[in-house]
Amino acid sequence: MNLANKRIYLLLYKYFPLILLYTFIINDFDFTYTDYEYFSFNFSYIVIFYYSLKRSQSLGYIFIFLAGLFNDVIIGTPVGLSSLMYLILCGAGAYLRNITLRPSLIKDSLFFLLTILIINSILFLSLNFFFNYELNSLKEMMNIAFTFVLYFLFSKIFDLFEGFFVGTDNVR
Amino acid sequence: METSRDDFVIALRSAFLKKGTQQRFSLLSLIFFSIIFLIFSSLNFKVVDYLKIAINEIVYRSSFIVSGPENFIKNNYIIVQNHFDLYNANKKNELEIKKFKSDDISRKIIEFENIRLKEIINDYFVNDNEVVAKVLIDKKSPFLRSIAINKGSKDSIKLGMAVLDGIYFIGKVVEVNYSTSRVLLISDINSKIPVAIEPNNTQAIMSGNGLEKGIIEYINKDLKGNEIGDSIVFTSGVGGLFKSGIPIGRIIKKKDPSINQSFVNFYKDLSQLKYVKILSFKKENLKFETNKKKENNKVSTETLKNSTDENITLIKRQKEISDEIRLKLIEQNIILSEKLTKLQSEKKQLKKLIKEKDIIIQQEAEHHKNKEFLELNLLYGHKCSKNNVKNILKKKYKIGSPEYKACVMSKGKN
Repeated sequence: MNLANKRIYLLLYKYFPLILLYTFIINDFDFTYTDYEYFSFNFSYIVIFYYSLKRSQSLGYIFIFLAGLFNDVIIGTPVGLSSLMYLILCGAGAYLRNITLRPSLIKDSLFFLLTILIINSILFLSLNFFFNYELNSLKEMMNIAFTFVLYFLFSKIFDLFEGFFVGTDNVR
Repeated sequence: METSRDDFVIALRSAFLKKGTQQRFSLLSLIFFSIIFLIFSSLNFKVVDYLKIAINEIVYRSSFIVSGPENFIKNNYIIVQNHFDLYNANKKNELEIKKFKSDDISRKIIEFENIRLKEIINDYFVNDNEVVAKVLIDKKSPFLRSIAINKGSKDSIKLGMAVLDGIYFIGKVVEVNYSTSRVLLISDINSKIPVAIEPNNTQAIMSGNGLEKGIIEYINKDLKGNEIGDSIVFTSGVGGLFKSGIPIGRIIKKKDPSINQSFVNFYKDLSQLKYVKILSFKKENLKFETNKKKENNKVSTETLKNSTDENITLIKRQKEISDEIRLKLIEQNIILSEKLTKLQSEKKQLKKLIKEKDIIIQQEAEHHKNKEFLELNLLYGHKCSKNNVKNILKKKYKIGSPEYKACVMSKGKN
């Protein structure tokens, strides 16, 4: 592999989480609002949590903050709300990373579930009580459930991707 | 306990306050900013609106680039989907074309067969002349059921032409003037129309009774009664005046079986006629061969006119049709040859059976003859036998010789 190609590979590897996050947010393609009544999941949460846990330097906090602002403008929620949720998720990821000695997918996913339950509760309460938005609690619950279940699948896919660049042993 | 609390605080502090190597803001400060933005947006600050506008601008401009890969995938997916749809549609069309082709061939075969059969029975009628006329006068005498119409010889109306109301037969032209004609309705007592009663195709004559009913006459005695009850009456075409199969009415079911006559309820109310159709029929001179030749000629002239490619397609199609006909004929041939072999083997078996029966019959005859001979031998044997002393002077035969047998059979008279 020549130097130019290597540089492209490295850049792609470095900014992959950001590209993924921004692509899905700007395209309004994060499966939060789908055509199916009860099937939806928050892809941004999965990306942010996974990468703040596994490769925290790849997602700068300021970029996450801006991604949240973009998301708010696009979906029409009060500006700053998604940023807050994303940053809390980031903080939870960073906290888990700090306290973890032997990472395991089950523990990560359970902590992820706890975090998304908290942040969705904050979202639900703030939208309902401060901004007079009407949210369907059942749909929100289904969204949380699917986000949790699909975290396993996407973390495996991201593991494969990371393994492709840095080798399988170094991913975990 | 103290240690774990310290660990928790250290981890939290590290997560929320510590800046990374390339981080300019800590997580907590950004959370703080978010909350400030939230408060500003809830208070409808103009700064937030400007921010929203700016972000929208960025999103609209960048979405073109960002959505590039998505659009590329989407377009390709649509192209692939279209190809699959086209493939499926093509498959479906091919099947349909095959079906239509086979249907067309069957139809053509039936058509040719129909022409041939019509030729055999010499009964191929087509509408020759069709005139629509208005009813001028409707005579309601009990002895005369007729109508006058506003069309006559100047409109090519001729005696005996069939008159229809819609598709139903109502009478025939009996008088033609220059501009008017008179139609004798089927309810008139003088009207005699050859009819066929379906479904049994019973031939009869229908005459009117002066009222709104028809009477079935000259019908086979065996068919009178319930058998023709509730049947449909059509013109039979016998006599060659009218085309066969024009509906007239329905036979009224008899309440009392002892009543001999059958009545017909006409489909049309003959007292309510306003416009009628006058038709004449002629035999169409359709001949299978000539028709085919004409078609061939037509095709050949067309092919001359068309371009070479079209000619080839036409010829190919003709060939395909003839090939399929040939295949069908081959199939039929195979079925027939199978039937023939079966019949031949049956014939062989039957011949064998006949032979066996013949042998049995022969044996029976011989047996019968022997029995008769033995019976006669008992009675007349002494008259023919040489051994008998009484017969020395007479001409007698040795026992068992054919002459002896003949003598016995003729009761000793030889």
